[in-house]
Amino acid sequence: MSEGNEKTAAATLNRNGIAIDDTFAEAFGMSGTGVIITADTAKWARQSAVTMTGFGTSVIGCGAECGIDYEVAPENTPDGRPGVRVLVFGFAPNMVEDQLKNRVGQCVLTSPGSACFNGLESSKRISLSGGPRFFGDGWQTARKLGDTRYWRVPVMDGEFVIEDKAGVTTDAVGGGNFLVIGKDRGGVLETCELAVAAIADVPDVITPFPGGIVRSGSKVGSKYGAPASTNEAFCPVLRGAVDSELGPDDKCVLEIVIDGLTSQAVGAAMRAGLKAVLEAGPQRGVTRVSAGNYGGNLGQHHYHLKDYLP
Amino acid sequence: MSALKLKLRTAPSQRLDLSPLVPGKLAGLSTAEIERISIYAGPEGLTVGDCFSVSGTSGGALHIEGGSDKLDKVGAEHAGGEIIVDGDVGHYAGRRMKTGRLDIRGDAGECLASNLRGGIVIVTGSAGTHLGGPLAGEKDGLAGGTVVVMGGAGKLAGERMRRGTIVVKGRMGRNAGARMMGGTIVGEQGLSAGAGVQMRRGTLIGPSLEAPSATFVDCGTHDLLILTIMAAYWRKILGDLAPPAIALAPRRLMGDMSSLGKGEILLTEG
Repeated sequence: MSEGNEKTAAATLNRNGIAIDDTFAEAFGMSGTGVIITADTAKWARQSAVTMTGFGTSVIGCGAECGIDYEVAPENTPDGRPGVRVLVFGFAPNMVEDQLKNRVGQCVLTSPGSACFNGLESSKRISLSGGPRFFGDGWQTARKLGDTRYWRVPVMDGEFVIEDKAGVTTDAVGGGNFLVIGKDRGGVLETCELAVAAIADVPDVITPFPGGIVRSGSKVGSKYGAPASTNEAFCPVLRGAVDSELGPDDKCVLEIVIDGLTSQAVGAAMRAGLKAVLEAGPQRGVTRVSAGNYGGNLGQHHYHLKDYLP
Repeated sequence: MSALKLKLRTAPSQRLDLSPLVPGKLAGLSTAEIERISIYAGPEGLTVGDCFSVSGTSGGALHIEGGSDKLDKVGAEHAGGEIIVDGDVGHYAGRRMKTGRLDIRGDAGECLASNLRGGIVIVTGSAGTHLGGPLAGEKDGLAGGTVVVMGGAGKLAGERMRRGTIVVKGRMGRNAGARMMGGTIVGEQGLSAGAGVQMRRGTLIGPSLEAPSATFVDCGTHDLLILTIMAAYWRKILGDLAPPAIALAPRRLMGDMSSLGKGEILLTEG
């Protein structure tokens, strides 16, 4: 979620009639993992993944940022069934591990016919089965094949199979972003939907907010003591009352936030998303693209919009 | 890949301990140095050169031409690379092997792959008793790795096994998986009487079981996802030697209820 915007941003570029601010998205180093959820059908694999990634928009409020990366064909899953790869991001590996324990335990273990496997090869590993396997209450059994240990947990529709460990990376990036600004709310939303669809084709990234889109960009802090509050500079209804970042015709700002397992993946997603916006935006009332940052002092990763234009 | 060849000069009259002859221990040695290696052979002190003609270069595969049931501890504590034996081997072949591959193109004696830790052992003939088992006083039998015996196996295969896989394509002897604590034993022609006696955990798989014990309970027939995962793993590491895929939901017998009771015998013909 963007929290503020560099006030000095200036629109120096223009593509297809859309102004592009000379600014950058400021993103943070995070830890991330991937798991593959399988089920008897693609429908149930996806259902389980959707449930597991629910309430996973912001690491501050939800404990983790989660999303579906891509669907996995049966021939590429450990058990030969349809699968979905889910990514989970947190501040540190132990935080990701705690989230896995709860999310897999409550949302995957409980889902009919599901199984759960490691979805990220890495030398660093965290427990995947650490919570769910104890649901077996002593009836769980382990099976080690090569270097991989699987747990079999008896459940009411058979057995829940879960891999013991999942890979984790500390090179992940959270908070890549760009803002889509326009004079028509429906058109801006439609444009963002197309951008999210384009980003979905990029592996190793997720867009964790609802449908991949954020309508509530925030700034750091609040008069009430909350860690974040509305970013009034980008609220169209406050344009006359605050030091606004918006022009007289701007009616809507939506943000797309990107988390990725690597900085390269986030960059590729930024490029794919911006391309979609610049192609689809002009006929949908999009007038400007910007990005959220904190002045460059907080996040280790800066994605300058001009470097990711098509 | 270069190979070191050891050709048996004559059939040995006494048992030979070949545990010094694994690729890791021979790496970097010249032919002359290898010929001077002592082989324990009872009261009579022998060297490699007394028993084998040595050729080729060390550091890669080891090829033993000419087998004998008196060649003991072939591939013992083998830790990488490949050992091929053209013929029979004696007892304790592959004992405590860690990684790599041991390919025995003949029969193996007792305690094949005893306390195996990893790697793959293939026997084209049959194996004697205590396949993968512990030696007297040892806690664990097979503790990892994979053993495939194309022929039959003697009694007590997989005794006190903890991890890994044993596949016997021929007839399985009595009491396979006795006191087993984990891992998988597949008897492709069926399991003999006493299979899984006193087992705590682990899995025995076969089309049928001779004289089922009353201390195993019938849990019915079930599709078990783990079998798909195991089959894929075996196909990956064994290729055509992998056990055939299980087409029908196997019958699950849990036991041994006179012990911990968390093991299972899966009968693939229902």
